[in-house]
This record gives sequence, structure tokens and C-alpha cells, in this order.
Amino acid sequence: MDAILEVCQVTKRFHGLVAIDKVTFTLERNKILGLIGPNGAGKTTLVSLISGTLEPTDGSILFEGAPIHQLPAYRRGLLGIARTFQVMRPFPGLTVLDNVAVGALFGTANNSHGLSEAQEEAHRWLKFVGLDHRAAQRADALGGPDRKRLELAKALAMRPKLLLLDEVMAGLNHVEIEEVISVIKKVRDQGISILVIEHVMKAIQSLSDRLVVLHHGEKIAEGEPEDVLSNDQVITAYLGRKRL
Amino acid sequence: MKLASTLALSVVVVGVLATVPWWGSAVLVQFGINALILATLAQSWNIIGGYTGYPSFGNSVFYGLGGYGVAVGMVQFQLPFAAGLALGVFLAVLFAFLLGLPVLRLRGHYFAIATLGLAEVMTAIVSNLEIAGRNIGLILPLLKGDTLFFELSLALLVITTMTVAWISRSRFGFGLIAIRENEEAAAVMGVNTTLYKILGFALCSIFAAIAGGIHAYWITYLDPTSAFDITLNVKMIIMAVFGGPGTIFGPVLGAFVLSAISEVLATKVTSLAGIFFGLVIVAAIVFMPRGLADLVRRFRQQGWRYFQANIQAHRV
Repeated sequence: MDAILEVCQVTKRFHGLVAIDKVTFTLERNKILGLIGPNGAGKTTLVSLISGTLEPTDGSILFEGAPIHQLPAYRRGLLGIARTFQVMRPFPGLTVLDNVAVGALFGTANNSHGLSEAQEEAHRWLKFVGLDHRAAQRADALGGPDRKRLELAKALAMRPKLLLLDEVMAGLNHVEIEEVISVIKKVRDQGISILVIEHVMKAIQSLSDRLVVLHHGEKIAEGEPEDVLSNDQVITAYLGRKRL
Repeated sequence: MKLASTLALSVVVVGVLATVPWWGSAVLVQFGINALILATLAQSWNIIGGYTGYPSFGNSVFYGLGGYGVAVGMVQFQLPFAAGLALGVFLAVLFAFLLGLPVLRLRGHYFAIATLGLAEVMTAIVSNLEIAGRNIGLILPLLKGDTLFFELSLALLVITTMTVAWISRSRFGFGLIAIRENEEAAAVMGVNTTLYKILGFALCSIFAAIAGGIHAYWITYLDPTSAFDITLNVKMIIMAVFGGPGTIFGPVLGAFVLSAISEVLATKVTSLAGIFFGLVIVAAIVFMPRGLADLVRRFRQQGWRYFQANIQAHRV
């Protein structure tokens, strides 16, 4: 067993509110881990703790065996952690191509290459997610689904080892969801480990090797997707208590 | 091809400008020196304000420190002009690093307000320094010859503009632009935001300080209120924004056009010049909010509809 990400007893408090409460889980290399839970369960907070936009109050996060929870966000990016944002954050004034080129210029592997090389690489990633026909447009001209694709391309251009996907399928239709699922599988086949947050149950079931369920900041279940999704506690958290 | 023609045009324009002291009147040359220095200041503000998205009101401090570096060096230590310039640049860069660290943690309006205070603080400090001539100021050795100052200012503007051109195509510049567009997303993508902001601040301080040093030697007199004049900072922002912040030639164009307009107004309508100047600024914001550079680019495609679209976007 080779763990790429270990989250150990991580707690995040916002003043009085405990958003994440002693959560522990492990993501193995080259696997896809699904993170689910009702709205407000703390999923996005957990992603922010791993990517470094937030710092944990307590506990530790290990990436490839080394603690990272005190590193600034950019250092974690350089180590090989990339994320997408649920509320999309493109660079609005830049072209779609240059948005992705930023990832290629500053990402993990070879960040010394020049601008034209980075733009070439950006083109490849845009093709990968099916957005290369809009490369020359400004990012703020894109609609919702295309912005999701752009978020994905920006993260991939960093050539990460670990990809954190925060609801990249929300708001997409069935056809688009199928496309994104096949893209994510292709990414995994390139040897990238993935943590995926999703509300679309069918997608998460077909993608994930393991599932972790959060509820009110606590981990209430973990295991194989089939077992977890038939767990009574999980069903209660999502649908409410069964009335007898 | 487009790059080549832009380059050729720039070389021609700079070449023609360089000959001005040999055929222009004394008034024109003096106007030219002022316009070139203002263009350099607008262009250096462009690095931190236009590319990085941090609207600094502290650039007049860099300008003042450059002036005082030259004045103190030449008057108190009998150093040559170049050594005085180096002293001024050193002070400005030191200031950019020391104050950039705390001040660049603030964003938007808060950053603007924090930097606004810096000029006042510097005026107060320098007014009490014996070596800087307290609030009486310093008188520099006289060097007659506007030609030299004109060529120096022109060379500085060319170097500043070339630096901005490099920024717009480099990894460093893409980091700055990413910070402007979305700082949090930039950090997650591996941009060391704190370092980049401070380097951008320090880079723009170099050019502002040299401009201040040249101006001080030219005017041969320096006192705290004129060295750290906050209205100068407002001027460079207006010029950069008028021309097009975050573009290579916009701030230079804006500085030349606005310098010319205010010069004409000051001679033709004298006492009402301020009012007319204000009207020009208001009209510019309504009709071309993204500056001259954007106007030049889009007007060819859209024609008069360009102005109409801007008015509608503003809901005036």
C-alpha cells in the first residue's frame, strides 16, 4: 500500500463552528477517492485544507509521506497538488489559452520553459478537455460547462500528482457528465491520484475506488462504494430518518 | 509581422523624439522633459497598478527618494550625479521591500489607503532630517543644458517601456497578471504571490526613483512637499488609466496626450484649465473606460458603436 495523501485527525474551527472534526483518511497512489456528504458537510473546506487556501486548526496532512499542512498554497502547488474550485475562478481578463498557460508555467514538473512552449502545452490540455476551439476567447466569455472544463485544464496543465476536483460536474447535463467522467478516467490512467467531490451519485459510483462520507464535519462512513451507499447512517444523513 | 511593424514604428518615434532638442524651442524641450518624466512614472506605476492590480499611491515616495538620493549625494557628499542616482535607487528599493511586506498584504481600497499615508509620513520624516535640509530643502549644483536632461529622460522611458514589454511576455509577468486576475487561484497554481508582489513593487520603484533623481538635478532644487507630492501620484494613475493600464504603450500614450491637453488648456484658458481638464477625464471614463490602447484596438473593428457600447455598459 502506497499512500499519496494521508489526512490524520484534521480539525478546522471557524471561531465557534467546527467545520471539520478529527477527520482521518488515506488516498492511495493512482486511485480515485470519492468524497460525498450533504450540503454544509465540510467537503470544500477539506479540499481547501489540503490545497493550502486554509490552514487546519489541528491534526496533520501528509503528502507522499511529508507533512504539508503548514506550507503556503503555492509550495503545495509546486509539490504536485492541483485543485479546481467549485465556484469557478478563471483569470477573467486572460484568454482561455493563457489561463491554462499559467498552470503550465508555474506547475510541478518543468516550470522553467518559456511562454510559447507553455502555450503549446496549454493547447494540448485544452484539446484533452475538449475546449481548444475557444482558446482565443477571453475566459469571462465562457458559459458554465466550459468554465468547468477550463478549471480542469488549468489544474491538469500543472502536471499534478494529486488532483482535487471540487464538483466539476455540478450543472452539467448527462452527455457532458459522461464526457467529464471519461476525461477523469483518462487522467487517472496517466498515473494521477484523484480526490473527487461530487453530488452526482451515478458518477461518483462509477468513478470511485473508495468513498468517504462527511456529515456535519465528521467522517461517518468509509469503504467500497456499494457498501457505503447502502450504509444506514449514510442514507439517514442524505434522506432523513425512516419513519416507522 | 505585427511585432516587427510595432518595433519599427517604435524605433522611428524614438528616433524623431531624440532630435527634438536640436530643432525644438526651449519651451517645447522643457515641456518634453516633463512629459517624458510623467510618462516614465505612469509606465512604472503600470507595473504594480496595471499588471499586478495593486493601485499604489506610494509611487511618489519612490520618486521623492530618488530625488533626495541625488540631492543628498551631490550636496552633502559631493558625489557625482550617477552615484547620487544609485543612492536614490537603493533607498527606493529598500523602502519597497520594507514597506511592501506589510502593505502588500492589503488588497484593493485598503491597499490604496495604506499607501496614501506613506507620502505624508515621508514628508514629515524628511522635514526633520538635518542631512536632507529639513523643510527648507536642498539646492543642487546647476547644470545648464536641457538637451542632456531630455535625452536622459527619453532613454529612461525607453528602458522602462522595454521592461514592461518583457513583463507582458514573461513567466514573471504572467505571475503578476495571474495575481491581478485572481490572487487565490494564482497561489494554488504555484505562484509565490508574496514574493512576486514585492518584486513588482521593487521593480517599479527603480524607475520612479531614477525619474525623481533626473527631475531634481534638472530643477536644481528639492524640498519635502514637492518631492513627496501626492498629486503627482494621482497624475501618474490618471495617465496610466487614461492610456490603458496593463498594456505596453497605453500609459505612455496617456501621459503624452494628457500632458499636451493640460499644457494647451493652461495657456489658452488659464484659470479655467482645471475644470476643462476634469471634463476631459470624465468624458474619457464614460466613453473609453479601458483606456486609449483599447480604443485604438477596438475602434477599427467596431467604429462608433464602441462608444455606444461603453455608455450602455456604464448605464449613464
